[in-house]
Amino acid sequence: MAAPALAFRSVTAGYRNRSVLDGVDFAIAEGEFVSVIGPNGSGKSTMLRTATGLIRPGQGSVELFGREVSSLKPRERASLIGVVPQKLESPMAFTVGEIVMFGRSGARGRWGIPDPKDADAAERAMIYTNVLELKGRLFNELSAGEQQRAALAMALAQEPRIIMLDESIAHLDINHAQEVLRILMSINREERITVLLVSHDLNLAAQVADRMLLLDGGHLVANGSPGEVVREELLSSVYGCELRVRQDPYGGHPVVGGTLDTVTRRQGGRKRLHVIGGGGSGIELFRRLLIEGYEVTAGVLNRLDSDAEAARALDIPCALEQPFSPVGQAAYEEARLMVEEADGVVVGPVPFGTGNVVNLELASLALGAGKPVWIASGIAGRDYTPAREAERRAELLRSAGALEWPGLPQLISLILREADGPEA
Amino acid sequence: MEVCRPIPVVTAHKRVKALGLLLSIPLLLALSLLLGPSGIGFPDTATVSGQAILSLRLGRFFMGLLAGAALSASGTVFQAILRNPLAEPYVLGVSGGAGLGAALSILVGGTLFGAVGLPVAAFLFAILTLLAVYGIASQGGGAPSVYSLILSGVIVSAICSSFIMFLVSTADIAGMHTVVWWMLGNLQPASAESLLVSLLFIAPAIGALWLLAPALNVLTLGREMAHYQGLDAGLVTMSSLLLATLLAATAVSMGGMIGFVGLVVPHVMRALFGPDHRWLVPASAIGGGAFLVLCDAIARSLMPPVEIPVGVVTALCGGPFFLVILRRKMANAWIS
Repeated sequence: MAAPALAFRSVTAGYRNRSVLDGVDFAIAEGEFVSVIGPNGSGKSTMLRTATGLIRPGQGSVELFGREVSSLKPRERASLIGVVPQKLESPMAFTVGEIVMFGRSGARGRWGIPDPKDADAAERAMIYTNVLELKGRLFNELSAGEQQRAALAMALAQEPRIIMLDESIAHLDINHAQEVLRILMSINREERITVLLVSHDLNLAAQVADRMLLLDGGHLVANGSPGEVVREELLSSVYGCELRVRQDPYGGHPVVGGTLDTVTRRQGGRKRLHVIGGGGSGIELFRRLLIEGYEVTAGVLNRLDSDAEAARALDIPCALEQPFSPVGQAAYEEARLMVEEADGVVVGPVPFGTGNVVNLELASLALGAGKPVWIASGIAGRDYTPAREAERRAELLRSAGALEWPGLPQLISLILREADGPEA
Repeated sequence: MEVCRPIPVVTAHKRVKALGLLLSIPLLLALSLLLGPSGIGFPDTATVSGQAILSLRLGRFFMGLLAGAALSASGTVFQAILRNPLAEPYVLGVSGGAGLGAALSILVGGTLFGAVGLPVAAFLFAILTLLAVYGIASQGGGAPSVYSLILSGVIVSAICSSFIMFLVSTADIAGMHTVVWWMLGNLQPASAESLLVSLLFIAPAIGALWLLAPALNVLTLGREMAHYQGLDAGLVTMSSLLLATLLAATAVSMGGMIGFVGLVVPHVMRALFGPDHRWLVPASAIGGGAFLVLCDAIARSLMPPVEIPVGVVTALCGGPFFLVILRRKMANAWIS
């Protein structure tokens, strides 16, 4: 079997003392069209830089066509990989022809005088990318779409066996983005050039690729066909938001959509949720619920607690107790009234002690009144009461119908399902 | 609809311009030999004083040619590598270091600096400054980024300037005058030997930069792109910055801090010849040399018997002329 075009073998890589990629392991066969997706900061660009030898892996190895990348001479490397950047910037007034000819830097002699073979390669690349008639124009005077085609021509002029694109179509309009992708698909099919496309556009990535790699927090979390990778639960949890996937009626490939419609739909009759937080566990919860369009109340919290401070900053009504004091009668009564007004109760990932375990009583009241309750999972690990009272109460809540949520995206979809349930 | 513009730089035109540039050198040689504070006219070689004047004028011609070429080629390279139109030969602190070395040599003098002579002291301090700048910029390992280089260059320059000001402020009138005059620039070589030494530094450095021209072209797209195009980008960056700084240090230690040449001549040459460094490096060297020789000829004949510092003339006479060229040809010179 031929060596893979690109292989990452348990690669850990990053910058200075910050590791970005962690144990990434995959192989791409020659002639494949692979797209790489993942949220911002998931390590896509770092992966591309590691693949091109710009960053050396801390652990593991990167191989191009069976050869260790770091062992390649710069010129050999350039004859194997071409890279199209997000945006090519030429501060000086080079023409398109000159820029494309830069792609021959690695191939031609030291003095840089192009021979007919270089001119042929550059011309072929310009024909492929449809920039031949722009040859004499200044690169800087081209439109964004033309510039990206010229950048692609420069990479193709290297006559590489694998071409990598780093968000190269990110700021092109749909027409120009499709044009670039069409060029890529045709060189992939006709010249068997392997393509690695890093993209934020999940739909384009799914549409053009044979295979997709999904990165999250520096880990490779999925590696498979678009159908295997573009799945609702997987993408929703990786991107941390509710996403929907359906099949494209024409191509049959998966199509991803957001759920902004649910936010606007809720604007009419806003739901109110009461949050039981504390110790900083509620901050992200407050923010997220507000963004999703809910009214939020909170408590009982101790004054000066970071959640209490956040609630004050976000104008969230909050039942408050003195600092470092157990929850007293007055504050509890205030919180109970809030729960009565609320449409549901969310219990955050709060550590419970004897002082605040009484807050769980509020959740029982809500359940008793027929309102939904969502409890953050893993309460046993946060139970600091002597008699494991929090754990016991949570167990009772669960048996009475409270739902557990492992993370914010799941919580949001549970809440949505609850709200949509009767309608659907 | 976009209007299709013709190819902006035609090679045939470039050849004509290059020929014109080369032909200006013998004309300027003749001019240099005719002009001087001792009066206009070719010195009478029959007399001893005439021979002395001729040799002085010849020396200045060659020094101007060398220093101008060095500064201008150096500026061209700095602008390309730092991708910054404001970059000039002194951006990495060379002038500050050389100035400090010169001031120490003039004011403190004594056994330490007096023995090696002013140009050597200036050169050594320029190189020390450069090493300090690289050292600061490379903290954390790896090739330093463009920004950390510029920033540490500015900081080290400022420190050197403070030292110079301290030295000058505590000096007597004569010493102060000497330092200020040195800094304004003076192209009279100390001896034929010093001229030869500067030639030995400057010519190979310009030659080496010319060899790096194709790599410099690709580096204008940024270090990451150059890496993808098959260059050892870090190595090319470091070696061309070192060569450019060596050029600047040599020029400063021989002729003082002559400004303007290294900043503006590269821009003008880029306007005339386009951004291709295979043309630009030699054109800048020749253009910078010719420009400095011309300025020097004006400087010493405008108000005889007083000489105006050449650094004053470079900006005063060159400025308006170059503004006209740059306004007409800016699109060719720099776009960002």
